Amino acid sequence: MAVEQPARDDLKKVARARLARGSKDAVGGVRARYVATPSSTEEVAEVLRVAAQHDLAVVARGAGTTLDWGAPPTRADLIVDTTAMSGVVDHAAGDLVVVVRAGTPVGELQDAVAAAGQRLALDVPDADATVGGTLAVSPSGPRRLLYGTARDLLIGITFVRADGVVAKAGGRVVKNVAGYDFGKLLTGSFGTLGVITEATFRLHPLPAARRVVTVSCPDAATAGRAALAVLGSQVVAAAVELDQGGDGRVQVAVLLEGVAAGVVDRTRTVLDLLGQGASDDDALPDGFGRLPFEAGGTGLKVTTALTGVGPVLAACHRLAGEHGVPVTARGSAAGVLHVGLAADAQPEAVAAAVQALRLATAPFEGTVTVLTAPQGVRALVDLWGPVPGLELMRRLKDEMDPDHRLSPGRFVGGI
Amino acid sequence: MTSGTIARLAQQLRAALGGEAVVTDRTRLLTYECDGLAQYKVTPALVVLPRTTAQVADVVRACIAAQVPYVARGSGTGLSGGALPHADGVLVVLSQMRAVVDVDPATQRAVLEPGVVNLQVTRSAAAYGYYYAPDPSSQQICSMGGNVAENSGGAHCLKYGFTTNHVTGLEVVVPDGTVVRLGGRAPDPPGYDLIGAFVGSEGTLGITTEVTVRLTRAPETVRTLLAAFPSTDEAGGAVSAIIGAGVVPAAIEMMDALAIEAAEAAVHCGYPDGAGAVLVVELDGPRAEVEAQFTEVERHCHENRAFEIRIARDEAERALFWKGRKSAFAAVGRISPDYIVQDGVIPRTALPEVLRRIAALSDGSGVRVANVFHAGDGNLHPLVLFDDAVAGQTEEAEQVSASILDLCIEHGGSITGEHGVGIDKARYLPRMYTEDDLDTMQMLRCAFDPHGLANPGKVFPTPRLCGEVPGRHKGPHPLQQAGLAEVF
Amino acid sequence: MTDTAPATSAFDAHRPPSAELAADCVHCGFCLPTCPTYVLWGEEMDSPRGRISLMQAGLDGEPMTDAMVGHVDACLGCMACVTACPSGVQYDKLIEATRAQVERRHRRPVTDRLLRGAIFALFPHPRRLRLLRGPLRFYRRTGVQDVVQRSGLLDRISPSLAAMEALAPPVRPAPRLPERVAARGRRRAVVGMLTGCVQREFFPRVNAATARVLAMEGCDVVIPREQGCCGALSVHNGREPEAIAFARRTIDVFDAAGVQHVVVNAAGCGSSMKEYAELLRDDPAYADRAARFAGAVRDVSELLDELGPVAERHPLPVTVAYHDACHLGHAQGVRAQPRALLRGIPGLELREVADADICCGSAGVYNLLFPQAAGELGERKARSVLATGAQLLVTANPGCLLQVAASVQRLGGRIALAHTVEMLDASLRGRTVAQLHDGLALAPEVDLSGSGRFTREVPGHT
Repeated sequence: MAVEQPARDDLKKVARARLARGSKDAVGGVRARYVATPSSTEEVAEVLRVAAQHDLAVVARGAGTTLDWGAPPTRADLIVDTTAMSGVVDHAAGDLVVVVRAGTPVGELQDAVAAAGQRLALDVPDADATVGGTLAVSPSGPRRLLYGTARDLLIGITFVRADGVVAKAGGRVVKNVAGYDFGKLLTGSFGTLGVITEATFRLHPLPAARRVVTVSCPDAATAGRAALAVLGSQVVAAAVELDQGGDGRVQVAVLLEGVAAGVVDRTRTVLDLLGQGASDDDALPDGFGRLPFEAGGTGLKVTTALTGVGPVLAACHRLAGEHGVPVTARGSAAGVLHVGLAADAQPEAVAAAVQALRLATAPFEGTVTVLTAPQGVRALVDLWGPVPGLELMRRLKDEMDPDHRLSPGRFVGGI
Repeated sequence: MTSGTIARLAQQLRAALGGEAVVTDRTRLLTYECDGLAQYKVTPALVVLPRTTAQVADVVRACIAAQVPYVARGSGTGLSGGALPHADGVLVVLSQMRAVVDVDPATQRAVLEPGVVNLQVTRSAAAYGYYYAPDPSSQQICSMGGNVAENSGGAHCLKYGFTTNHVTGLEVVVPDGTVVRLGGRAPDPPGYDLIGAFVGSEGTLGITTEVTVRLTRAPETVRTLLAAFPSTDEAGGAVSAIIGAGVVPAAIEMMDALAIEAAEAAVHCGYPDGAGAVLVVELDGPRAEVEAQFTEVERHCHENRAFEIRIARDEAERALFWKGRKSAFAAVGRISPDYIVQDGVIPRTALPEVLRRIAALSDGSGVRVANVFHAGDGNLHPLVLFDDAVAGQTEEAEQVSASILDLCIEHGGSITGEHGVGIDKARYLPRMYTEDDLDTMQMLRCAFDPHGLANPGKVFPTPRLCGEVPGRHKGPHPLQQAGLAEVF
Repeated sequence: MTDTAPATSAFDAHRPPSAELAADCVHCGFCLPTCPTYVLWGEEMDSPRGRISLMQAGLDGEPMTDAMVGHVDACLGCMACVTACPSGVQYDKLIEATRAQVERRHRRPVTDRLLRGAIFALFPHPRRLRLLRGPLRFYRRTGVQDVVQRSGLLDRISPSLAAMEALAPPVRPAPRLPERVAARGRRRAVVGMLTGCVQREFFPRVNAATARVLAMEGCDVVIPREQGCCGALSVHNGREPEAIAFARRTIDVFDAAGVQHVVVNAAGCGSSMKEYAELLRDDPAYADRAARFAGAVRDVSELLDELGPVAERHPLPVTVAYHDACHLGHAQGVRAQPRALLRGIPGLELREVADADICCGSAGVYNLLFPQAAGELGERKARSVLATGAQLLVTANPGCLLQVAASVQRLGGRIALAHTVEMLDASLRGRTVAQLHDGLALAPEVDLSGSGRFTREVPGHT
C-alpha cells in the first residue's frame, strides 16, 4: 500500500485518479494499478509527467471497444481514461473542418456535424468507440473505398509524448505540408507513440440520396469478378462490400451515394453490370460495416491487391474444409477483409489457418494481421506477420518513448 | 571537410557508377545550382546521376563514410529550394531513373522510378481508362520522386487528395544506406505509417527509388466552366455558395485581375475582358451526378454577379480554360522582372478578408501582388511582383511576402500548402509550431537520419543533434559549442 | 574563382548572348520535357534551362570550356523550348548568339573541324551538290550501296559518314525551272520563289510542284536564276560572316526581282530568312532592306492560306500523317495553315503524330554531327509516325523528310513521304494517289505500336 501511495497521490494532484478495479481495468488481460481520468490536454500532460517520474507504463483507454486488439501489453500500470475529454471543440462548417476531443464517441461526433449536413466519412465498427481509440487502431470500413481511412481524413492532431510534453502536427486546413505529418504516424500506432488528446478532421457533405445494389454470387471467384467490374466502372461507388457465408456464397453490395438523379442513373448501371439476380434497395444489408468477430474468438485483418479479393475469399472458404475451422469473412473490394474464427476453435487449427491465409495473400502483396485472439491462439501465432521497415519503426519508438512505457509490447516487433 | 574528401568521393563514385554518372566539371556543376526557386543558388561540390536503386544506395553509403551531406533532385522544379544543393555536398540527380516499371489497371496501380514525370503516369495509364490524380501545375515536368518529397497537390487535390493519399508503396534508400520497401499494391501495411511520414518529408528522411501509386478511373464526365466576376469578393462568394451547397468540385480555381493579365500575355487564354476575378470550376464524375451539380454551380455563379460564364464544349476548350491558370506563375515573368511566389493556406471562409488585407499590404508598400489560388481549399499563391533593379523593392517584396504568411498563420492556416518548407520557409516554421512541436518532429528525423546528412538545413530552422550515435560526436559538436544547436 | 580579365571570359563584346534575355528565364523547367536532348539524356546541362545557365555563367566571366561548347553544340536549335516557355524567353536569339561566339572563339578538335569544313563546303552550294548527283546515282544503280550498307563498314569508320550514307536522297531528274511562271486565271500576287540547295538538287519535284501550285492559285512566280543559299545552315551553326554574306546576296537577288513576297518551301530556310533583320541589324547598308525583306517572306503554306484557295481540289483518298518541321512549327508558328491546306483536299484523312513537338533529329546538319542522338530521335519519331497507321507522311522540310525516311527504313517500316505542296499539286492537277510519287509505292497500313501493358518503357535508353 505504502509503495503505491506516492504514485496515486501524485496522480490525484493533477487529475481525477483512483486505484484500478481488478479485471474491469485491464488491458488484454493485464491488470492496471491506477486509472487517471484527465479532462484536458494539460491534465494529460501532467499525468504523463507523473507516470514518467514513477516509471509507470501507460495505456490510453476510451470506450475500450478495441482494447483487446494487438498483443497484451508487457506491463500496464496506468490507464489513462480519455472519456472525460469529450466534445467538439470547434465545427467550422463553412470550411468542412471539425476539431474534436479524443474522448468523444464517434457516434456523437457524427451527430454533431450532421446538424450542418456534414459527416466524417469514416466507417467505424462500433459507434461507441472514441475518436482517440479509432485513431489508435485505424479500423477499415466500407467507405474506405472512396474516402480512405482515418489517415486520409485527419488533418491535425494534438498529443502528449511519453515525457509529458504536448506536441501538435498538421493544423486546421486540409492543404498543409508544413513539417512532418505526425498525424499519419500516430494513426494506427496503438498508442505506442503518444496519447492523442485532440484531432482535427476534414468533413464531407452528407449525400442527398443513397441506394444499395446487391447480388448473391455462387462463389468467391464470381464475386471477385463482379467487384472488380464495379471498381473498373465509372459509377464511383462509395463502397463495394463482399460478405461470405458458410456455404461459400458471397453477397456483393454496392453502395451508391450522391445527388438523387445521379444515384438513380448509377443504380441502373450497376444493376446491369451485376446482371441477373441483382436488386436494389434503400437499406444497407445486415452486418454492413460490422466486423465478423465473435467475442472471445480470433479476428483477422486481411489485405490484398484488388485482384486478390476473390482468390483470398476463396482461400477463406477453404479453411473450413482444410483446417476444420469455419470462418466468416467480410470486407471491402478495396482489398481489406475481416475474417472471424470461432472462440471454440482449436488454437492449432487457427494457427494453421492464419498461416494458410498468409500464403494465400502473398502473391497479391497482402498481409494478415491478427487483431484479436484468445490466449491459446496468441501463444502460437505471430500476430503481425512480416513487417517491412521494422528497424526504422523501432528507432522511431526509441526516440519518442525511450523507456518504452507507452503501451509497451502491444504493437509490431514487440514495440 | 576538404576538397580532397570530395575528390576521393568522386573517384569512388566513378568506380561504382561509371564515369558519365559523376559530374565534377565546374561549368556543368553550375547548371545544377538551383531548382525552380531561382532566388537561392548554391553550386554543389559534386553531382551524381545514378541509374539504379543499388547505385543510389552506393552513393548514400559513400556519403556516410565520407561524412558528406547529400541532396536529392528530380526535375529541379520545386518552389521551396528543397533541391538546393549543399556547397560541400553531393547532389543526387534522379532524372536517369525514369522507367515506368508497370501500369496495371487490374490492381489500379502504377509502379514508377522517381524520375518519371508526373504527367507521364497519366499518359501511360490513359489507354486503360485511368489517370494519376494529383496534378501540380508543373506536372509536365515535375518528377514523381519530387512529388513524394513535397507531398505535391495541384488543382484537383480538393476532391482527390494529395500525393500522400495516392502512394501505396515506396522503395527508399534510408539515410543509413539500406534499401527499405514499404507497402506495395495492397492497402494498409502493418506497423507505423512510414509511408505517410515519408511523403512530404522533403528529402530529409531518405531518397525514393521507386513509388507505387493508386490510379484513378477516368471520370465518365468532366464539365468545366470559366466565370468572370467584377472582383474577388463576388468570386469568393460564389465559391462559398458552391461549397456550402454540398458540391465537391474536382477543382475550383481563382485568379485576380493582375494574374489574368499575365496569363493573357503569356498564353493568350482569352479570359473575359475586364474581369476582376475569374473562377475555373470543374466537376467530374458520373454523368447524371455532374449534370445536376453543374446547373447548381452555374446558378451560384450567376447569383454572385458573374458577368460572363463560359462552358467548355470540348477537350480543347477545357484545356484552354486551364492553360491560363497553369501558366500563371511562369507567366508573371512577362509583366514583372522579378517575383516571389507564396504558398499560404487559410480556411476558405477567411478568403475575402485575407484578400482584402493582401490588397492593403500591396497598396501600402507599392509592390504589386497578383493572386492565383485553389479557392476550394484556401491555398493561396500570391505572386509578389517587384523589380530587383529598383532600390529597396526586393526588401519590400520580401516584407510583403512574410506579412502574407503571417496573415495565413493569424487565420489558423499554414505557411505552405503544397510547395514545401525547403530552405525558403524554414524560418517561418516556428511561427506555426512551438519548439516542442518542432522537437517532436525532429525525433522522426533522428530516427531516420542520425548522421544528419540527408538534405541538412532544410525544413527545420535550427539543426538539432540526435542522441548518442555510435561513432558520431565525442564531446560537444562545434555547432553546440557555438550555441547554435542543442542535443535532445 | 574567375578573374574578371576579359581574356578568360567565354564571350567577347561582339553580339554576346543578351544578359537581359537570359534573365527572362524563371527556371520553371517547362522547356525540359520538350527538349530533345533532355528527353534523350536527362541532364540539366543539355536542356534549354541548363544552356541558359551556361550562357549566364559565361557572361559572368566563366571561360568557354570544352564542356560548355559541347552542350551548346548538342542543342538542335529546334526551338521547341520557345514554344513551351510561358515566360517568353527568346532562346532562339540566345543560342544563335552563343553559337556565333563559339564558332569565332573556340578551337574545336581537328576531326570535328574537318567534318564541319566538309559539310559547309558542300551543303550551302547547290552547284557542288549538283556535282554529286552523278556519283550518287552510280552508287545506287550499280548495287554498291547495297554492299556498303550490308557490310556495316561505314558505321565502324564514322557514324557521321554512315548517317550521311543512310540519308543520301534518291536521285531524280532535275530539269531547270523557268525564270517566270505565269499565274493561271486572275493574278492575285507576284511572288519570288527560293529554290534552295538540297531541295533544288535532290527534291526538284517539290520545287516544280511549288511553282505549279502557286501559279494555279493565281501567283506570278519569279524564280531568279542567280539565287543561291539563303544561309540558314550557316546562321544556325554560328557561322556569322558566311551567313551575312549569303543573306546580302539573297536580298539583292530578290529585291531585283521586284516581288511582293518571297515564298519558301523549306522550313529551315523560311525561318532563317524571316530573321534577316536580326542578322543584318549592324549593317547600315542592309538593315532596312533586310527588315523589309524579312517581312515579305512567307512559307508556301502560309501564303496559300493568306490568299485563300481558288483552284479546284480533286479528291485524294489517302491517310496522311503531318509532321511539323521544327523550323516551321516552333520557329515560325506555322502549324494551322498546312493542316488547313491538307484538310481542304477532299478524301484526305489527316492524322496527328504523337509527341509532335519533339524534333525528328534532322535539325539542319545535326544528324551528320551527332548521328547517334539524331538516330535515337529519328527512331522515336519514326515510331510515332508509324503508330498513326497513315499511308503517307507529309512534311515541309527536306531534312525532316530524309531523316524520317531513313529512320522508318531502319525500323523495317514502310511509309511514303511527300511535301505538303506535292499533295496540293496532285490534288489541283487531278492526279491519283499512285501517281503522286512514282517509284515509291504507297505503303499498306503499318502498325508498330504494339498493344498491351507498358513494361520497361525507358525513354532514350534504346
